[in-house]
Amino acid sequence: MASSIDDQDDIEASLANNLVPVGPLSIIDIRSKSLEVKMAAQLIREWTGIQQFPAATQDKLLELLGKLKQENVGTLTILIMGKGGVGKSSTVNSLIGERVVAVSTFQSEGPRPVMVSRSRAGFTLNIIDTPGLIEGGYVNDQALEIIKRFLLNKTIDVLLYVDRLDAYRVDNLDRQVIKAITDSFGKGIWRRAAVILTHAQLSPPDALSYEEFFTKRTEALLKVVRLGARIKKHDSLGSSIPVVLVENSGRCNKNESDEKVLPNGIPWIPNLVKTIIDIVSNGSKAIFIDKKLIEGSNPNDRGKMWIPLIFAFQYFFVVKRIQRAIKEDIANENKPIWDR
Amino acid sequence: MGSLGVPAHLLSSSLAPSLRTRRNSSTRTTPAPSLSLSPAVITCRICPLNTQGLQCVQSKSNPKPSSVFIPFPKILGVYFAPALVFLVSGGVGCWINGGDVGGGHGGGGGGGGGDGGSWSRFFGFWSRFVCPMAIAKEEESQSQEWDSHGLPANIVVQLSKLSGFKKYKISEILFFDQRRRTTVGTEDSFFEMVSLRAGGIYTKTQLQKELETLATCGMFEKVDLEGKTNADGTIGITISFTESTWQSADRFRCINVGLMQQSNPIEMDPDMTDRERLELYRSQEKDYRRRMERARPCLLPMPVHLEVIKMLRDQGKVSARLLQKIRERVQKWYHDEGYACAQVVNFGNLNTKEVVCEVVEGDITQLSIQFQDKLGNVVEGNTQLPVVGRELPKQLRAGNIFNIEAGKQALRNINSLGLFSNIEVNPQPDEKNEGGIIVEIKLKELDQKSAEVSTEWSIVPGRQGRPTLASIQPGGTVSFEHRNLKGLNRSILGSVTTSNFFNPQDDLSFKFEYVHPYLDGVYDPRNRTFRASCFNSRKLSPVFTGGPGVDEVPPIWVDRSGIKANITENFTRQSKFTYGLVMEEITTRDESSHISAQGQRVLPSGGISADGPPTTLSGTGVDRMVFAQANITRDNTKFVNGAIVGERNVFQLDQGLGIGSNFPFFNRHQLTLTKFIQLNQVEEGAGKSPPPVLVIHGHYGGCVGDLPSYDAFTLGGPYSVRGYNMGELGAARNILEVAAELRIPVRNTHVYAFVEHGNDLGSSKDVKGNPTEVYRRVGHGSSYGVGIKLGLVRAEYAVDNNSGTGTVFFRFGERF
Repeated sequence: MASSIDDQDDIEASLANNLVPVGPLSIIDIRSKSLEVKMAAQLIREWTGIQQFPAATQDKLLELLGKLKQENVGTLTILIMGKGGVGKSSTVNSLIGERVVAVSTFQSEGPRPVMVSRSRAGFTLNIIDTPGLIEGGYVNDQALEIIKRFLLNKTIDVLLYVDRLDAYRVDNLDRQVIKAITDSFGKGIWRRAAVILTHAQLSPPDALSYEEFFTKRTEALLKVVRLGARIKKHDSLGSSIPVVLVENSGRCNKNESDEKVLPNGIPWIPNLVKTIIDIVSNGSKAIFIDKKLIEGSNPNDRGKMWIPLIFAFQYFFVVKRIQRAIKEDIANENKPIWDR
Repeated sequence: MGSLGVPAHLLSSSLAPSLRTRRNSSTRTTPAPSLSLSPAVITCRICPLNTQGLQCVQSKSNPKPSSVFIPFPKILGVYFAPALVFLVSGGVGCWINGGDVGGGHGGGGGGGGGDGGSWSRFFGFWSRFVCPMAIAKEEESQSQEWDSHGLPANIVVQLSKLSGFKKYKISEILFFDQRRRTTVGTEDSFFEMVSLRAGGIYTKTQLQKELETLATCGMFEKVDLEGKTNADGTIGITISFTESTWQSADRFRCINVGLMQQSNPIEMDPDMTDRERLELYRSQEKDYRRRMERARPCLLPMPVHLEVIKMLRDQGKVSARLLQKIRERVQKWYHDEGYACAQVVNFGNLNTKEVVCEVVEGDITQLSIQFQDKLGNVVEGNTQLPVVGRELPKQLRAGNIFNIEAGKQALRNINSLGLFSNIEVNPQPDEKNEGGIIVEIKLKELDQKSAEVSTEWSIVPGRQGRPTLASIQPGGTVSFEHRNLKGLNRSILGSVTTSNFFNPQDDLSFKFEYVHPYLDGVYDPRNRTFRASCFNSRKLSPVFTGGPGVDEVPPIWVDRSGIKANITENFTRQSKFTYGLVMEEITTRDESSHISAQGQRVLPSGGISADGPPTTLSGTGVDRMVFAQANITRDNTKFVNGAIVGERNVFQLDQGLGIGSNFPFFNRHQLTLTKFIQLNQVEEGAGKSPPPVLVIHGHYGGCVGDLPSYDAFTLGGPYSVRGYNMGELGAARNILEVAAELRIPVRNTHVYAFVEHGNDLGSSKDVKGNPTEVYRRVGHGSSYGVGIKLGLVRAEYAVDNNSGTGTVFFRFGERF
C-alpha cells in the first residue's frame, strides 16, 4: 500500500498545482471518482496568465470571451490530442499564458492527461492536455484508455487535433490516430474539432511558397482526417474542419503591438481563440463523455429483445429442417437386401 | 467404463450353419476333406472399445460362413476338431434334407427313364455329415504305413479284385467321362464330389463306399472305379462315369419347400404292370404339382432366374453337370446375400420343359433368448427380455428367412447395449419342423456392479527443479458402475480423479451420471434416453491467449461445475436429438488458482495489470446460471472401404433463461455443416482401396444477448483453423469458419491437402472488453497445408497466412 500512499501524495501535490494527474491503472476507478469529488470542491484559479499577453491580444480575447458570455456559455472545455512531440503541451502553455504543463522536449511524457482550469470574470476555461497517442509505432491503446477514463462525465466543447506544419508527409500512423479518436468519441467530435498545425514559422522547402506549402500540407492532413474518421467525400463535415497555425516558440515573430504573429502576419493566439469560439457557436453539440461512449453500447444488450423470435426461427427452420433431413436419410438408407 | 477394456469382454459368436443328412451318418466314415459346403465356425470377434470395430474385426480366414472351402483337412481337422465336437453336441447348424430316397431311385438315375423323376439323392453327397472322429481317424491312418499292392506294375485291377486287408496308397485319381471319352480335369465340378485324394491311404471298404456314394448320388447313370498298379506299390485310380441326362428344358422355377413335408418316394415294385406304373407316375405327377402349388415363392430374384434359364437354353439337354451348376449358382446367390442356411435340396419335374428347383431357405420358426452363467449353464437372467428383443432386427423373428447378416446385426446391436460379456447367435435346426430354424441367442451377463481404482504416481519437480520426497504425488481415479438396474439397462456411474490424493481439493474432478434408457417404455420403438449428471471440469480459456508476437498472456482457468439433465432421442445409430437443462457455476481463476474477475494484460513497460477483459458476466469471477441446451445431429456418414463419405450437420443451441448471476439471457447457437464427397465410384469390399474424398466444412457460431468471455467463440486451433494455436486468431461473438480438405488414398492410408479460413465477422469488439484486441489478435486468418494420416496420428504441415510461416504438427484424431 506504500505506493498508493505515495500516489495519493502525488495527487495532492498536483492538485495544489491545479494539475490533475491520474493514478496507476489498477486503481483508476476509485481514484477518478475521488477526483470528481475533489474537483467540485477545488478552487479554480484566476486566469492570471492572460495578463501576460500583449494588450492587443488581451483585448481581443476578452472581446471574444464576452461574445461567448452573451451566448450564455460560461465554461469552455478544450481537449487537445495528437501524436507525441507535436507541441500539444506547448500550445496549452501558450494559450493559458503560463507554464502550466511540463513540456518534455526530448522524451515522451508519462501517460497522464492533465486538465488546466482557469477562470476570468465568471468564465471558466478548461484545457485538457493529453499524452501522445503513439508509442512504438502503434496507437497506444492504453494511453487512449486512460484518456477516455479521465474524460468520463466531462463535456468536450472543442477538440484540437495537433500536428506539426513542418512534417512533410502524412502516413498510416496519422490515420490510425484519427481513427482511434473517432472510435473513442464518435464521428461527431469532428464537428467540434480544429486542426492545429504547430511550428508555423518555417521556411518551406525550395520552389514552394509558404502559402502553397500550407495549402498542400493542410490538404494532405485533412484527407487523412477524412479517411481516418471515415467521413464521406461529399460530407460537409470534411471540408468544414478549420485549420489553425500555431507557433509556440519564443522566437516567434511579433508585430508592432508585441503580438506573436504568423509568417502571414496574423496574430495567432486571438486567431486560435476566435476559431475555437466559432466552433463552439457553429450549432453542433458538445460531446458529453459518458460511460456508454467510452465502452460503446453494451453488446450484451443488443438484440436481446429478439431472442424469443430467434429461438422460434431456430426451432422451426433449423431444428425441424434437420429432423426432416434425418427422416429422409432413414427413408433413403441403402439397406442390405435382407433388410427390406 | 473401465471394464470395457478388459480383454475377457471380447465377444465371440458362433454362426455356424452346417449340413446334415437324415441318412444314417454312421455309414459314412469316409473323411470328406473336400466339402464345398462344410460346417464352419465363424467367430465374430468384436472389440467393444471401438464401435467401428464391429464391422471390421472378424476372423479373416472365414469371411463368409457358408463359402468356406477347406482345402487342407489335416490342419483344419486338428484345428477345428473341438469346434466340430461343439457343433455336434450343441447341434448348431442347419440341416438339410438330403432326400429320403433310400437308394432305390436308380430309376431316376438309370437312364432318365422315369418322367418327372426327382433327383434328390444327389444332395446327400454334399450334405454329408462330417464326423470329427472320422477326421481324427484319418489323421491316424495317414500317419500309418501303407501296404504295397503286391501286384505287377501297370496292370488294371477291378475294385473287387483288390485285397480287403490292405491299405492302398493312392498315387493319382483320374476321371474318365465315358460319354465324351475324355479325362476330366480337376477343375471339373465332378471332381469335387469325390472325397478321395491322391496320396491318401484307403482300404478296399473305403473305396467301395466311395463308389457307392457316387453311384447313389444321382448324377451318374453309371460309375465305375478301377485301379492301376504302379511300380512303387501305390495304385492310381480311374473313375469312369456316364453322366445322367434329361430332356431339355427352357423354363426354370424356384420354390421354397422349407417347413413342408418332404415327398416320400414310393418304392416301385418291379412286378408292377405298365398300367400300374403309369398310374403311379400320374399320381406322382399330381402330387408334385400340388406340392409346387403349396410351396412358397422363393427370394431368388429375377436376374438370377433369367441367368439360369439362359444356362438351360444354352445347354440343350439337362445334364447332371448343368443341374449342379444351377444348384451352385442358386446357392451362391443365397450365400452371397447371407442366407447361410439356404440349400437347394432337390430338382424336381425333370424331363419336362420346366426345371423346378426346390430350396429350403431356412425359415425361422422360433427365436429363443437364454442367459448363461459363467460356466455356461442356462440361468434366469437379470436383463428383461424386451431389452434384448428390441435390439433384434425383425428378420430374426419367426416367420422370416434366417440371414447371417441379420444375425451379425443382432450381435452388434446387443453388444452395443454393453450388458453382456458373451453373445452367441446360433441358428439351430428345428426338430419339430423340417427345414425350420430356431434362432438361439445365448447371453452371458456382465456383473452388475463394478468398481475400479487406478493409481499413478507423479513426480513434480521441487525446488531447483529436483524432485523431492514431498513432490511425489499419488494420484488416480476411483470409478464405480452399477449397471442394468431393474434389468432395464439403467445405470449409475461415477468417477473421481485427482492427481494428488493428499490435496484433492486442488484438482479434484468428478462425474456422476444416471442413465435411464427407454424413457417411453421398453416396448415403444421411440428410443429416448434420460441422463442426469453432476460434473466438474477445468479448462484453460483460449479467450485469454495472445496473438502472434505477444508475450505470454497470463492464463485464465475456467472451472465449471454443475448438474445437467437431458433427454437424448436416437433416430439412427448416428443421428440424434438431445435437449435438456444445465445448471452450472463457472469460476474463473488465474494461474495461482485465485478467483480472478478480469483477465490480466501485460503492459508495454513489462508490468502486469489486472484490468483486462472481464472474465465473467457478473464481474466477480463467479457466475451461476441455468440454461437450456439442445443439440441435433444429423449424420448419414458411412465408410466406403474405410473412407468416410456422407454428410454431418450439427446444430447446437444454448438458450439462456434469465436465471442466474446478472440474469443471463442469451441465445448462443452453432451450426456445423460437413460434407464428405466421394469423388469417384469404387468397388466396395475388403481390401479394396478407398475413394478420394473432398471434405467441405462450414461452422457458424453466434450469440445474441449476454455473452461472458468464457462462452465467446474462439478462432484458431486444430479444430478451428489449423496452423494456429488455440484462440490465436481471436475470440468473438460471431464466427464463421470454412474449410476444404482433399483426401487422396495412398496405399492403406491417405494424404490430404487443406485450406481453412476463420473470421470473426467484425464481432470481436462485441465481446465485453474486446479480448481479441487487448491481446493483439487479428480476428481472422487463413491457413493451408498438407498432411498424412499415420494410423491414429495426423502429421501435417500447415502454413498460416497471417505470418506466412509453416509448421509441422502432429495431432490425434480427425479434424472433421
